[in-house]
Amino acid sequence: MKANNTLMRADRSASLLWRRHMCDRLATGLSWLGMLIVVFMLGSILWTLLKNGLAGLNVHLFTLSMAAPGQPGGLANAIMGSLIQTGLAILIGAPAGLMTGIYLAEYGAGSRMARIVRFVSDMLLSAPSILIGLFIYMMLVVPFGHFSGFSGAVALAILAMPIVVRTTEDMLRLVPVAMREAGIALGAPKWRVILFICVRAVRAGIMTGVLLSIARVAGETAPLLFTSLGNSEWSLDLGRPMASLPVAIYQYAGSAYQDWMQQAWTGALLVTLGVLIINIVVRVGTRGGRS
Amino acid sequence: MSIEVPVKATGMTQPLDSTAASRDVQSPVAMQVRGLNFYYGTSHALHDISLDFPERSVTGMIGPSGCGKSTLLRVLNRMYDLYPGQRATGEVIFDKQNILNSGVDLNVLRSRIGMVFQKPTPFPMSIYDNIAFGIRLHERVSRSEMDGRVEDALRRVALWSEVQDRLSASATALSGGQQQRLCIARTIAVRPEVILLDEPTSALDPVSTARIEELLDELKTEFTIAIVTHNMQQAARCADQVAFFYMGRLIEVDSTARMFTTPREQQTQDYITGRFG
Amino acid sequence: MEIPARQSLPAMKQAPSHQGGQKGDPAFRLLATATGVGVLVVLGAIIAVMVTGGWKAFATFGPGFLVSAVWNPVTQHFGAAAPVFGTVISSALALLVAVPLAFGTAFWLTALAPPAAASVIGMAVQLLAAVPSIIFGMWGFFVVVPVVAHYVQPAARQLFGHVPGLSALVAGAPFGTGLFTAALILAVMITPSITAVMRDVFLSMPAVLRESGYGLGATRWEVMRHVVLPWSRQGVVGGIVLGMGRAMGETMAVTFVIGDSNHIGWSLFAPANTIASLIALEFPESPAGSLKLASLMALGAILMAISFVTLWFSRWLLARGEQAAGR
Repeated sequence: MKANNTLMRADRSASLLWRRHMCDRLATGLSWLGMLIVVFMLGSILWTLLKNGLAGLNVHLFTLSMAAPGQPGGLANAIMGSLIQTGLAILIGAPAGLMTGIYLAEYGAGSRMARIVRFVSDMLLSAPSILIGLFIYMMLVVPFGHFSGFSGAVALAILAMPIVVRTTEDMLRLVPVAMREAGIALGAPKWRVILFICVRAVRAGIMTGVLLSIARVAGETAPLLFTSLGNSEWSLDLGRPMASLPVAIYQYAGSAYQDWMQQAWTGALLVTLGVLIINIVVRVGTRGGRS
Repeated sequence: MSIEVPVKATGMTQPLDSTAASRDVQSPVAMQVRGLNFYYGTSHALHDISLDFPERSVTGMIGPSGCGKSTLLRVLNRMYDLYPGQRATGEVIFDKQNILNSGVDLNVLRSRIGMVFQKPTPFPMSIYDNIAFGIRLHERVSRSEMDGRVEDALRRVALWSEVQDRLSASATALSGGQQQRLCIARTIAVRPEVILLDEPTSALDPVSTARIEELLDELKTEFTIAIVTHNMQQAARCADQVAFFYMGRLIEVDSTARMFTTPREQQTQDYITGRFG
Repeated sequence: MEIPARQSLPAMKQAPSHQGGQKGDPAFRLLATATGVGVLVVLGAIIAVMVTGGWKAFATFGPGFLVSAVWNPVTQHFGAAAPVFGTVISSALALLVAVPLAFGTAFWLTALAPPAAASVIGMAVQLLAAVPSIIFGMWGFFVVVPVVAHYVQPAARQLFGHVPGLSALVAGAPFGTGLFTAALILAVMITPSITAVMRDVFLSMPAVLRESGYGLGATRWEVMRHVVLPWSRQGVVGGIVLGMGRAMGETMAVTFVIGDSNHIGWSLFAPANTIASLIALEFPESPAGSLKLASLMALGAILMAISFVTLWFSRWLLARGEQAAGR
């Protein structure tokens, strides 16, 4: 240790240096600890899911609908319901988000209106999702008198849209001016330049946003509680209550029945793996594209 | 394209021809670079550099972009250590030690070998604290002593009269030239022995540049100075000896007068006469 | 395909032309603008629905709704104080845990980690942020609650149970559910997003400023403490406030572990409720048109007001931070 300080000069305080090194070690040590705790949390969550979820992974899970405790049942209707509602949500939310992103980047750029729209979109991005559920309940459930898969999809669409808005705008801003001018110089109208040159040039980036929005809404539970409600039977009717994986997990996890609990864990494993795989694909994909 | 390198590869104990030239300056050596090689990952950026930095004089380092002069500067205070994948072999002798050794305390080393960067880098704090920060790191000083040290540092860079009424104002509000002088003041306040300057005036206007050059002339009475510059006139005005780098090699080093009048190497002549670079 | 119009260059804004492709321009512009404005309409509608939906509760209970801690469906008395208290306390506690964790992790990622490790751990942090909140809820209920019940709370009672002033904080039966557990789960949930913001603002500092700190002989901690942190202060606070907004609005992770009790007390380990968990738990027994549903909507309006104010504040800080960085 002493040898380290042979560059030390007489007019400097060795004890001060020692204190500084101790402070640095303490801070970096705590920093390591913080990082390890965060990693440990992710590990603990994944391990819990795998430990409890893998046991219930079988064919029935995908072929049978939800059933009473003790009866042979699966999550087929919930998986289907999640696919339908998430799919419909993206079908509504992604084009709306794309158009809003185009408005922000191409038409509104710099205007006061655009700043407000961007701000409000950011607010929707982080708004409590349960409030979106309440909102859709009042707008689409109460007036029609019943819960429905469609209202669930609309609630999810409101959550998906701001993510697409963000990525679309960010991506369009990256399109070089020269590319736009080249399109304009060919005599193409602006809307064609935007859609067929700019959007096409950054379609991979926009796709990333869409994928991330899928990952975000596929695991959402709160907004579905008051909209599509959940349904223990197989149903593809968007006008009726519709099951979904997260709501089924919520329902089963709070129960006292062994087989329901098992299915809740397996369902949780499925949702998490799905969401994480989308995220990994997106992150690895975009990193590869950048470098 | 391959370049014939006229500098002889030598062992570490034997001084090069070129370093003999610096003896003309007639002063003890503050830092000795011996057989230095530097790598960014697998790319070999500095080839077998040997160079002396005489005490209390200015060594100017010139050469075209990417020639390795800034890289050498960043070896001298081990700044490259911040970046994994960068490594140096050979010797840099300072205070009888090879500072490339892994046991060297970098915090102490950098307090004795200060650095000023291309762009002014005031810290996001007050003018006073910018100076006091470095002092506090290495010394325990009383409040009144600190006031004196801050004033002294600011006076020596001729900034005191301009900022004495607003010492607690944010340093980022100063002009570019003032910021750079503040950064020099911050560096000398720590009382280093060597000051490394990496193109310190390239972001400044001519008036500010002139003031910094004047400043260097005063500072060299107390500090050993190494300055990297793109500006040949600046090297001619400020430096006592000049080293010319090209493609990671030290081509020639000599007293400023001889370097600009009778360089020994054709490449040096081509560069200083503006034929390339 | 249309035949490209022979149009001179500045055709950017409107192109007066008889060709079909050009007519598309105003229509497309209108469509894009309308969608953009539609976003405003959605937010406006959400606000309107919450306020009108909750109006009956505000009208019935008056300002007392805000301060009353009663939540009694039998006597039809509802007050917002208990869930608001639970929301604020659980989020505040969550921040106490999450901010040091996030700061430590961001410090590690930006100053200590080898690049390969930083990218792997950075990815892990982002994955943790992507885990659906219901998973945090289940994990909390089945993994964290037993630990709190069997170890943490008994240990806390042993340590502080006889200390005057602190004993009230650890009182109560060791259920494992309650404010403390909810705060822990929320902390784990929001740590990744706060970490991500901190890492981004730390990395956005010019490298040469960092080098200047090291150049004076500062240690890694001193550079972080005296150079990086002051430089990125606003961004860091913005990220923390953003995390707080998320914590206050979170439903599923909290609902599993909060214990469902509308009670204001000193004990950190006592069951409680947040606005979001109360809405999720009580909604099924709140028929449309009932005073209870109106009260839930009123709570929703309060939650929206709180979270919008925090979001606005964090965006403002982050934007100011970016501006300062641009200088």
